[in-house]
Amino acid sequence: MRKYLIGLLVLAVLLTVPVITFADDPVTIRYFTFSAAPDHLDDLNEMIQIFEAEHPNIHVVVETAPWGDYWTKLPTLVAGGQAPDVFELNYENFVTYASRGLLLNLETPAAGDAAFNAGVYYPRAYGAFQYKGMQLGLPATFSTVMLFYNKDLFDAAGVSYPEPDWTWDDAVAAAKELTDLANGVWGLHSPVQFWEFYKKVAQNGGSFFNSIDGSVTVNSAQCVEALEKMVGFITEDGVMPSASDMGGMSDGDMFLSGQLAMNVTGIWMFAAFADAPFSWDIQVEPGFTEHATHFFANAVSVFAGSQHPEEAWEWVKFFTSSPEMARIRVASGWELPALDNPTYFADYLNLTPPDNREAVFESLNYAIVPPVIERQNEMQDTIGLLIERVVLGQMTAQEALDQAKTEIEELLK
Amino acid sequence: MVGTKGFHKFLWVCLFLLPSLSGLLLFTGFPVISSLILSFHKWDLLSPARFVGLGNFREIAGSQQFWAALGHTIYFIVGYLPFVVAISLAVAVLLNQKLRGEVFYRAAFFTPVVSAWVAVALLWRWIFNPRFGLLNYALGLAGISGPSWLFDPAWAMPAVIITSIWKDIGFLTVMFLAGLQNIPTVYYEAAAIDGASSWRRFWQITLPLLSPTIFFALVISLINSFQVFDQVWIMTGGGPAGATSVLVERIVKNAFSYSRMGYASALSWVLFLFIFGVTFVQIRAQKRWVTYE
Amino acid sequence: MNKNTPPSRSDLRRLCLYLITVTLSLGMIIPFLWMVSTSLTGDQYVLRMPPRFFPSPLTIKSYLQLAELLPIGRMFLNSLFVAFAVTIGQLLTSSMAAYAFARIRFRGSSWLFLIYLGTLMIPFQVTITPLFILMRYLGWINTYQGVILPGVFTAFGTFLLRQFFLTIPRELEEAAFMDGATHWTIYWRVILPLSKPALATLGVFAFMSSWNAYLWPLFVLNDSSMMTLPVGLAALHGRWLTRWNLVMAGSVITIVPMLIVYLLAQKHFVRGVAMTGIKQ
Repeated sequence: MRKYLIGLLVLAVLLTVPVITFADDPVTIRYFTFSAAPDHLDDLNEMIQIFEAEHPNIHVVVETAPWGDYWTKLPTLVAGGQAPDVFELNYENFVTYASRGLLLNLETPAAGDAAFNAGVYYPRAYGAFQYKGMQLGLPATFSTVMLFYNKDLFDAAGVSYPEPDWTWDDAVAAAKELTDLANGVWGLHSPVQFWEFYKKVAQNGGSFFNSIDGSVTVNSAQCVEALEKMVGFITEDGVMPSASDMGGMSDGDMFLSGQLAMNVTGIWMFAAFADAPFSWDIQVEPGFTEHATHFFANAVSVFAGSQHPEEAWEWVKFFTSSPEMARIRVASGWELPALDNPTYFADYLNLTPPDNREAVFESLNYAIVPPVIERQNEMQDTIGLLIERVVLGQMTAQEALDQAKTEIEELLK
Repeated sequence: MVGTKGFHKFLWVCLFLLPSLSGLLLFTGFPVISSLILSFHKWDLLSPARFVGLGNFREIAGSQQFWAALGHTIYFIVGYLPFVVAISLAVAVLLNQKLRGEVFYRAAFFTPVVSAWVAVALLWRWIFNPRFGLLNYALGLAGISGPSWLFDPAWAMPAVIITSIWKDIGFLTVMFLAGLQNIPTVYYEAAAIDGASSWRRFWQITLPLLSPTIFFALVISLINSFQVFDQVWIMTGGGPAGATSVLVERIVKNAFSYSRMGYASALSWVLFLFIFGVTFVQIRAQKRWVTYE
Repeated sequence: MNKNTPPSRSDLRRLCLYLITVTLSLGMIIPFLWMVSTSLTGDQYVLRMPPRFFPSPLTIKSYLQLAELLPIGRMFLNSLFVAFAVTIGQLLTSSMAAYAFARIRFRGSSWLFLIYLGTLMIPFQVTITPLFILMRYLGWINTYQGVILPGVFTAFGTFLLRQFFLTIPRELEEAAFMDGATHWTIYWRVILPLSKPALATLGVFAFMSSWNAYLWPLFVLNDSSMMTLPVGLAALHGRWLTRWNLVMAGSVITIVPMLIVYLLAQKHFVRGVAMTGIKQ
């Protein structure tokens, strides 16, 4: 009898053990990122530890690649059948992956998840990652581009600080007072490239494409004027250094060395400028006839072919909306979470420099997204090349944009 | 003699060739054939490939960007190859003299070769800096106003060429040094006894006996310079205004930035035809000037 | 040379040679000095133009920060292991193939050699994706063999060694053949010992190409514990910001072992003693 009972007990144990291990079988999901390494790997690992404590059956493995090579490696992983479960995407590349059906429609897991509330996200960021009515990514971070200015240089020249309602004419007037070539100081820097160009176009009331019929309007009068003025900062007004004048130094380096009184760049530079040997602040970027500012957002998406969509969903939900994640991000200066909740940003706003951090959120009122087409990188390179030619004096703005129109129409075929 | 008859020889050939050949076929041959097949397709890596026949090649023939890149590549080769070979040869002969501290000199010349392009490009960007770079400073002392180098479409390629020559000298010097060491001293001794001048010794002994190495250096350098990429990518990104856009830069842009792997593969095969053609001519021509033992 | 005579023309010549050599050598190592000097500064995000060669204050903070930020020791060992494996693999397989091309006259040898050369003429940026797919098929993604093997089989080594083998006089082999030696014995006991300079050269190049390899290890390795130096250090180039002092510290760490390998190998660039006694 005892042997019988022992046998039964052993059998019971043997049967429960696989059930227990099966139920707790840890699922490993791979998360591929470009923004974590190397400065914020610790922050990411902290978030993962919190997440894994809440979800003991999910294990997150991080894979990283530097920004430029990320866009080489990710397609290769997909082509080789080795796609990660979750990966980071920025807005321009999101469309590429979304349009090829490579991203999981997150509305399915969201619908079945009572704990999920889409309202926590900043609406513009949330909407940016929708494609043909499907939610294909959750916004993880956003950043804006501001006008940075060197207060010491302004004080020394007796120029009053930039105001939120400045136009570029105001900025150029101030820049002329601030430019002191004998001492190697330029008044202004606003990069002459694709992203600045579409923004200046919007600031001048123009656009690359007609919003109604989708025709290419990149050579309209407003666009040509915007380009002429942009290039004019260098060639006519003489307040901005050309690439040759910069000689390979980045605008960030020049600003830090006190060679630029005003610099249009992103809020990601706060960390680099924190130890600047002069006092500086930010302001909403000037406009032409209206304001338009950059809005850069990154999302995390789930690979459509992932073997573990439910676990991946838990991770993307946590990574984009949990309070712990937001706390860690703001505390370590690792980009801003795309959450529409001022309590998360109270700490952010209290950090200095710069003092005027409210301007970051003010500029969101004028935020625009880039014009995106299927052959995005080719369009970016084409516009970039043509803009360069105008700066070098090889073409006029009108000629360049007429050619841009032809080439973009080719790309749209 | 053992190993000279038919089947026996075949076995020996197999033994010696098989390790290298099998690996080469698998890890290079297969990808190369794949890229040939891909050149007749459109493939963005993310969706299945689509057959387009000669479409890519037709696009290449009519592409202004391709012809410009081809021109820039040839410009690079013509400006780079003769100088890097000649200078490296001179340096190798120089370092072959019994100088004291030759270990230091050899290490010094090899340092640029092992340095990553990131660091080399940074340094040379300073040297070429239009305002306070070393080169324009030196030119200024001679009363010449230097150009904007990397920022001037006319001078960017010469700047890239100069940097490339500087970096690669050590590579070829090492090669030539090994070749020089291979020449039996007995020839030089005999020539010295006959009273030949050092210049004559160079032409009559050194060059001919070094010719297999020189041939190697020319062929390899040509194959490599047709595929010039890293320095252009890092120093100028193909600019300014596309002035330094070369073939492999176009290939990489198309393959990874524009997601046009099929088109990029087609470009690679057009490049291959050029390289193969030139190399073939070189090999045929070697009978005229290369002396083997 | 007589110590009491005035400097002769050959003395002046030697002086000139020294001057030229020293000047050129200095010109070659200046970037390295700049790298070292930048790595010893505390400057993080700023790259000084014009560069300062004598940083003040001098600090080794960058190296410490680098070690904290990245698993440098692990990456270093990975690089070392992979580079050694590739070097030995290349030396063995290339020398054997080169022997076949240079020493055995067989039909089709020229055409096969041309095919070998042909493999060098396709940019690897387009072969890398099919190679990756092949690796996936073999199950070698994220493995050491996946990183090592593609680097072992290259026509470059075969070409280089073939050229050297061709310069070795046939009399040596003919004598050995008379004594009943096989191809293998000749390869192992005659050709290889005489080719030390060439083998040392190839060894250096093979080690270097593997040590500095970036794109392939980036693709094929996912595990941070297997990463090699170039891949790990690339993370220092952020999307917006680059920490230059760390980049330079990483570059110095990468270059120094290569120079050591070169210095060790260049001892073998000395004339093969056996060669000097050959009568022609």
